[in-house]
Amino acid sequence: MPTPSGEQPQRLGVGSGELPRWEEGADLSIVGRAHPRVEGDAKVTGGAQYASDVRLPGQLYARVLRSPYAHARLTGLDTGRAAALPGVHAVLSSANAPEIAWYEDSLLFDRTLRFVGDEVAAVAAESEEIADDALRLIVDAYEPLPFVLDLDTALAPDAPKLRPSGNLNGEPTVYERGDLAAGLRDADVIVEETYVTQAALHNCLEPHGCTAAWDGDRLTLWSSTQSVFDVRQRVAEALGLPEHHVRVIKQHMGGGFGSKQIAWKQDVIAALLAKESGRPVQLMLDREAENLAVGNRNPTRQRVRLGAKRDGTLTAIAVDAAQQIGAHPVGGEGADVPAIYQNLYRCPNVRTEQRLVFTNTGPAVAFRAPGHVEAAFALEQAMDQLARALDLDPLELRRRNYADQDQAEGKPYTLPEALGRCYDLAADAFGWAGYQKPPAAGPKRRGVGLAAHDWAGGGGSPPGYAWVKWNADGSVDVVTGTQDIGTGARTGLTQVAAEELGLPMDRVALHLGDTANGPYAPVSSGSATQSTIGPAIRAAAADAKRQLFEAASEFLEAPPEAMTIRDGKIHVAGEPEDRATPVGDVTAQIAPTMIQGHGERGPNPEDKSVRTVGAQIVEVEVDTETGEVSVCRVVAAHDCGRIINPTLVDSQVIGGVTQGIGFALFEDRVVDAGTGVVLNANLEDYHVPTAADVPPIRNVHLNLPDREANPTGAKGIGEPPLIPTAPAIANAVYDAIGVRIRELPLSRRRVLDALATREAPR
Amino acid sequence: MTMQPFAYERAASVEDAIAGLARVGGDATHTRPLAGGTDLLTLMKADVFAPARLIDVKRAAGLDSGIAATDGGVTVGALATLADLERHPLLVGPYLALAEAAGSAASPQLRNVATVGGNLLQRPRCWYFRNPRTPCWLKGGDGCPARDGENQHHAIFDTRRDDRPCVAVHPSDPAAALLALDAEVTLRGPGGERTLPLAAFFASPTDERRLETTLLPDELLLSIRLPAPPPGARSVYRKAMDRKVWAFALVGVAARVNLDGGRIADARLILSGVANVPRRATAAEAVLDGAAPDDELFARAADAALADAAPLSRNAYKVPLAKALIRGALADAAGMGT
Ligand SMILES: Cc1cc2nc3c(=O)[nH]c(=O)nc-3n(C[C@H](O)[C@H](O)[C@H](O)COP(=O)(O)OP(=O)(O)OC[C@H]3O[C@@H](n4cnc5c(N)ncnc54)[C@H](O)[C@@H]3O)c2cc1C
Ligand code: SF4
Repeated sequence: MPTPSGEQPQRLGVGSGELPRWEEGADLSIVGRAHPRVEGDAKVTGGAQYASDVRLPGQLYARVLRSPYAHARLTGLDTGRAAALPGVHAVLSSANAPEIAWYEDSLLFDRTLRFVGDEVAAVAAESEEIADDALRLIVDAYEPLPFVLDLDTALAPDAPKLRPSGNLNGEPTVYERGDLAAGLRDADVIVEETYVTQAALHNCLEPHGCTAAWDGDRLTLWSSTQSVFDVRQRVAEALGLPEHHVRVIKQHMGGGFGSKQIAWKQDVIAALLAKESGRPVQLMLDREAENLAVGNRNPTRQRVRLGAKRDGTLTAIAVDAAQQIGAHPVGGEGADVPAIYQNLYRCPNVRTEQRLVFTNTGPAVAFRAPGHVEAAFALEQAMDQLARALDLDPLELRRRNYADQDQAEGKPYTLPEALGRCYDLAADAFGWAGYQKPPAAGPKRRGVGLAAHDWAGGGGSPPGYAWVKWNADGSVDVVTGTQDIGTGARTGLTQVAAEELGLPMDRVALHLGDTANGPYAPVSSGSATQSTIGPAIRAAAADAKRQLFEAASEFLEAPPEAMTIRDGKIHVAGEPEDRATPVGDVTAQIAPTMIQGHGERGPNPEDKSVRTVGAQIVEVEVDTETGEVSVCRVVAAHDCGRIINPTLVDSQVIGGVTQGIGFALFEDRVVDAGTGVVLNANLEDYHVPTAADVPPIRNVHLNLPDREANPTGAKGIGEPPLIPTAPAIANAVYDAIGVRIRELPLSRRRVLDALATREAPR
Repeated sequence: MTMQPFAYERAASVEDAIAGLARVGGDATHTRPLAGGTDLLTLMKADVFAPARLIDVKRAAGLDSGIAATDGGVTVGALATLADLERHPLLVGPYLALAEAAGSAASPQLRNVATVGGNLLQRPRCWYFRNPRTPCWLKGGDGCPARDGENQHHAIFDTRRDDRPCVAVHPSDPAAALLALDAEVTLRGPGGERTLPLAAFFASPTDERRLETTLLPDELLLSIRLPAPPPGARSVYRKAMDRKVWAFALVGVAARVNLDGGRIADARLILSGVANVPRRATAAEAVLDGAAPDDELFARAADAALADAAPLSRNAYKVPLAKALIRGALADAAGMGT
């Protein structure tokens, strides 16, 4: 808000809460357009710098020795020959590394190893080859300990324990509303089933890793991270440095999907190796390490109970969820499985219980819509089964249990109609109502399936900041400390700035991903970057624009309130169009005085709940003889508030659905029961979808500005599109073959085994 | 992992290469010929295999990548790539199975460098074998962790025989097609050339020879010959993967059928992905030969082919899968497919 002249402003800049909303149908010229990615040229020409592209004079390359045992105590470690190998400059292990606390109860280099892949030692050398040769020279000895690798064995009464306190991470979390027992008593129909989801591996194309360089007692880290500020905080804490002595940079990223939302050991290990060797050190994980040690989607077992009246009204929802979080609590490992059960459908009697279970496998971490993806697979199949038991259309059952408020929080949604609109859009685009199954062709059967989702994220929240600086030529630099993790955030955020400032896109340069240069922005997770930082940027732009108008007022002899900027020119109300003044005329006049705008993300509404929802419908073909499941088409409709850039939204949906197809049909970390070794920690045996596996995906745009959520009306779309895909496919497979498969993935093996069991005479 | 240091030589001729191999007394762990490198280098990067020297044979005189018509048949040089096979105008009709098998393998990028010789000599994809963290018999150790472990991709035949410690499957698609085409291979060692049926080139590993082939360590594979097919023969290759493309066969089926007066003669049916080496389904061939083709016959042949199957703990699904592929492949080869 402009301050009356003469008074000191209470605060520098503008909070986004003070901005007028961009209402539905607002006349916007840049927001809402399919602007190509601003970093597109750099990416396709190879100019974009990723973590492994950093090359500094004298740079070394580091590799990590990992535990060969699922559970062991390190009893001996001789790194002498490794250290003596020519080209080796530093070796770190529990023998010489500082005792830095890591995870909740272990050390950076701990002598107790809790999974195959746990860090034992690290070497920095003049090449990766020399570093690997050095690892081969390390003599390590262990006392193997008993281990547990899955939920069943970890929860058995006499199970070997990962920790003195046992294999549970804390007490079970219980949520209750209403009276579950009464709800089940009142039900005419009860569905009770158990569902199992697998460990999926993030497999970001760009692995985790970083380059560390010291300048005196100041450290710069180029890290592949979703959160430069969290890495800064964690590394500073681990090394006992003031935060401002650590600078973390992340410019371009080949995906994170949640696995890079925390600082991992390699950020500190690289810094220590660099300190020890006096040289910059690059530590990139190879694909195996990537798939062992830096996160996975927690496997779950969910026992689900639904109760409903004849007319479909839900009377009870319950889940007992056990989640396998792996060997260490890394923060963010407790994926929110209960959330969907609590909120997706209107129901008075709900009980959710969640247990987080330690096992001697790699630590779990957030993975694109954590918990919701796992939960939707179970709940949405149970709903499908319930619809069939009630002889109701699965879509109709969902409509009859429509939730227009956040029942866990007891608050209305900011966009209560969004999910219903998604149902309509998806059903229309798919042709759900009139769908006729094609006649069976030989062994091939078609089927259709539907699933809905709710997602706790997407709304964003404070704090988050941005600055806008007018240059003398009338262009602007926008600076924020957020990250573009490959989603196109740079482009969407630039569009917000350009829109508010009335500048063409190429007059706006957005700078991000550097703790030294930009103001704080939170981790890029929760599908929140656009909705957290977009409003902050808009606020900064509004602040900068207001000051520009004040400066222009003198030259243009007009009051600031009469001014607007369109296409880089200042227009004064009532004056002819051709009298508009290029912004640069004003900024050049006042240069080198520089106008700077400051913006911050305002609060979310207190009395309402901001969420994102959506629905997907798929058609599959199942070959009942070969077990092959082919996804024929996918229709998606998701609420992400105002669409800032339709191409970016479509690409998130296509990417999410693709990942959902992988989760549904192929992806599955395989751990050898005898040793705890992951047998497919590579991209050859761990199958992600190829282009041939992905059918046409139609994303129908809801594009309903969420005016109460924030003044841009935009919410996130990064995670949600993955949530409903697997259950929609599973429901479609059931529709095709009449066999319910409650365990992922729906591989040929599982489909054929399920068909064989069904067909076997009882 | 990165590779361990090794010496690299480029052989000017087949003779040079063989001399280089023989120099170390035919020690297969010391010196290996290098073709496209898609398997050899992968094993070296996985730290499963660390030869001290590689002899690059890609430009060795006497080895080639030609695919040519000879004496009514076709001769294929060991250096022909899978992409060459996939697209070659000679490899149609009776030879189609080979083009289909090559085209179903790996990815386009890999097919451009992967040679057919290397393909026949590639090692199993058993994930215990390929993981340096898990010792096993085939790598020179003692037990077979796959037998009671994660064996979903493993063998369903000969799994209970004491003389077959390994239950890995041979990963090649082209091998099955070549066997269905009665291929012969010409090998050359220090003592000269020998030609043998491809069926005799493959052999389940034994205690003394923990390899899937009978090629000696100082021998090179020079060429593959496909004899003239029976008149009117057609062949096909059908493959089931865990995703649409770019995966090894869960099961593959190569079938060759020719009809003589409305009856099947001289059928060939080879299964890949089911045994240590591609498996000829002789019992099924016997069911087919002399019979009139129809779905019922194909189903009987499929049952006969799988009669001896003895699946492991996690791969029973391969039995119905193989049967379905066999029925489909036979119908297609007999020109009755949909
Ligand atoms: C990701 C991936 C997927 C794949 N998928 C498939 C698939 O689906 N189906 C399939 O069939 N194959 C598949 N392959 C295997 C691939 O086809 C083989 O790796 C390739 O054909 C080997 O040929 P090469 O020329 O690269 O052999 P190299 O790697 O150079 O050699 C392989 C072996 O053969 C020896 N050798 C090579 N040439 C000769 C010769 N002339 N004489 C004697 N010895 C020789 C080498 O010493 C080595 O032991 C896949 C491979 C990869 C990496
Ligand atoms: S199947 Fe063969 S290769 Fe695999 S673990 Fe057993 S012995 Fe080794």
